[in-house]
Amino acid sequence: MKSKWTPFLFIGPAVLLLIIFSFVPILIAFGISFTDTNLIGLANWSKINVIAFDNYADLFSDKKFLESIGNTIFYVIIGVPLAVGSSFMIAFFLNLIGSWLASTFRVIYYVPSVTNIVAIAVVWGFLYNQEYGLFNYLLSLVDIDKVPWLEDPLVAKLSLILLAVWKSNGVSMLIFLAALQAIPRVYYEAADIDGANRWQKLIKITIPSMSFATFFVTVTTLIGWLQFFEEPFVMTDGGPLNGTNSIALFIYQEGFQYNEFGYGAAASFILFAIIIVATLVQFKFRKSDQTL
Amino acid sequence: MLTTKKLMLALMFGFILFVAACSDDSTTEGGSSDENTITVWTMSKALKDFVPQYEEEAGVNVDVQVIPWDNAHDKLLTAVASGEGPDVLQIGTTWVAEFAEASTFLDLTEYLDDYDNLADDNFYESAIGTTKYKEQTIGIPWYVDTRALFYRTDILADVGYPEGPATWDEMINASRQLAARGDEQYAIDLPTTDPQFPFILAWEQGWNYEIGNGADNFQSKGFKEAIELHHLFYEEELSQTGEGKEFFQAFSDGSKPMFISGPWDIGMIKERAPDIEGKWDVRLMPSAENNKSMMGGAHLSIFHNSEKVDKSLDFINWMADPETQVEWYKANSELPANLSAWEDPALADDEMVSTFGEQLKSTQPLPLIPEYERLGQEILTSLEEINRGGADIDQALEEFQTKAAEILDR
Repeated sequence: MKSKWTPFLFIGPAVLLLIIFSFVPILIAFGISFTDTNLIGLANWSKINVIAFDNYADLFSDKKFLESIGNTIFYVIIGVPLAVGSSFMIAFFLNLIGSWLASTFRVIYYVPSVTNIVAIAVVWGFLYNQEYGLFNYLLSLVDIDKVPWLEDPLVAKLSLILLAVWKSNGVSMLIFLAALQAIPRVYYEAADIDGANRWQKLIKITIPSMSFATFFVTVTTLIGWLQFFEEPFVMTDGGPLNGTNSIALFIYQEGFQYNEFGYGAAASFILFAIIIVATLVQFKFRKSDQTL
Repeated sequence: MLTTKKLMLALMFGFILFVAACSDDSTTEGGSSDENTITVWTMSKALKDFVPQYEEEAGVNVDVQVIPWDNAHDKLLTAVASGEGPDVLQIGTTWVAEFAEASTFLDLTEYLDDYDNLADDNFYESAIGTTKYKEQTIGIPWYVDTRALFYRTDILADVGYPEGPATWDEMINASRQLAARGDEQYAIDLPTTDPQFPFILAWEQGWNYEIGNGADNFQSKGFKEAIELHHLFYEEELSQTGEGKEFFQAFSDGSKPMFISGPWDIGMIKERAPDIEGKWDVRLMPSAENNKSMMGGAHLSIFHNSEKVDKSLDFINWMADPETQVEWYKANSELPANLSAWEDPALADDEMVSTFGEQLKSTQPLPLIPEYERLGQEILTSLEEINRGGADIDQALEEFQTKAAEILDR
């Protein structure tokens, strides 16, 4: 039975599913992005017109879209280092402390990742509440005025970042933890013999050994933050003054709230392009430090 | 050997066909193939327990599928795209134009005379207004709602308006006094996320949307006056910009003694703020040139490719019956669209509900254009920029007009 078709038999089903549910929709969306498809066109295909690059041209003169890009960049620049850094710190300290305590905290840090976003929104909505929220109550104890957590465009962006970092820590922490535990003990033993202190061990052994895990987490986190959607969707709906709207939320609003499928698809391809570029840039940097 | 194999295959194939044939009826979504069943999509949960009465009377099975409002738009969208819809469906008044433009509904015009309860003059005039789209009748009014002014009788009496302000001038006067009571004291909570509200304000300034005029509608004086009136409340801090206190608490402690909302809040206040019983009331919208409010609610429509038009119409006819309408009000507190249902003591003897009945006579249907939802959201955005972002009214209005023209030309 051995033939050159055998391998295809094995990967066939997976590839087929990928083609049907991933590649074909992407191609269709790409096609749609050059048309003015909306609800009416959906019901009656003859009313769809091909409008070439109009959608793309419109997008770049759409104030709301440009604001969304700005907000998304803000989220990425502040959110990604925070998310990667904090999950690394958590993993590092969990790796230091005793075993039962570590597993308790592992659960505590992981729980937000598996909690439903709507439940999180309700609880954090109360925490952030300007009148009775816990955060403002704590601040009032030290005589700090009410902070408009979700009512000021800039503060609201930061509030959402805080929430998202808290929620995303769990998964990255697990990856870091696995990487930490995979570092061979002998490195540290050798360092101990050489008389290295903790700081030196961290800088010279731990961090370099984890470069691949760090790379992986950074790439996935960056992609995740470029697609930032759930938090503004459930907490602020893009407001106030469009200050928390992200590209992904913009796509949702255009495509599914206003039924401008063509326009939404065009926006999603811009997001797609941004993600591809951002990822390629990281791979490029990765190559240059392969010497480690 | 070969024959046994073939036999097995044939048997298996037959079995699969058999199973497929058995399960066919129960699995098809939407329009059921059972001759005696009609499928109804609704956003009102209570309908499920409400239809057995009809099923008994008419000997027809009604398969009610409840869709939450949040998903309804998507669900309808998929139905339109796939052509697989129910027989009867509920449609919110603000979605009429959008879905009618995509020919979702059966034109009911020719059937109206064949059924007792479907004639136009049974219903509120502006409710009928929202069922006519491009000379088609796309549905029959089911229930209606509108907005009116809720106010604290005791607090408004202190500032000289025990009956509540009757005009917008009185409203401004009262509001200034109310806001002057001190820090964190406001006059009224205006709906900030309700795209209907700016239209209501504009109608009251004598403005009206003429479909032929497109974006030029928004250049008229009345529309600008409405925006200025709205802004006044935020500029002078008569209304709070942010969300602030939990609303029902603010109403009950008097820091926000007025708000504009729909009939559902009568029950909400009774439930959430029981200690102010007797200290609040509902009155008609304050008037400027008129006191028009919006006509909201929902219609029952028939999906364009339904095969059971007669049965569906019979069901809708039953739902539109004055008696059924009163029963429905009792079951789900949604106001009857049928005029004679309002004579029933259940409605006529309830003062607050009758106020809504009274307000309903002075209502206006929202512009029946597919772009309405989009325009409404844009107005809200512009208002937010003016009231919160400090944008200049003239400039923001100009930007809005450009945007509106773009949306309408698309």
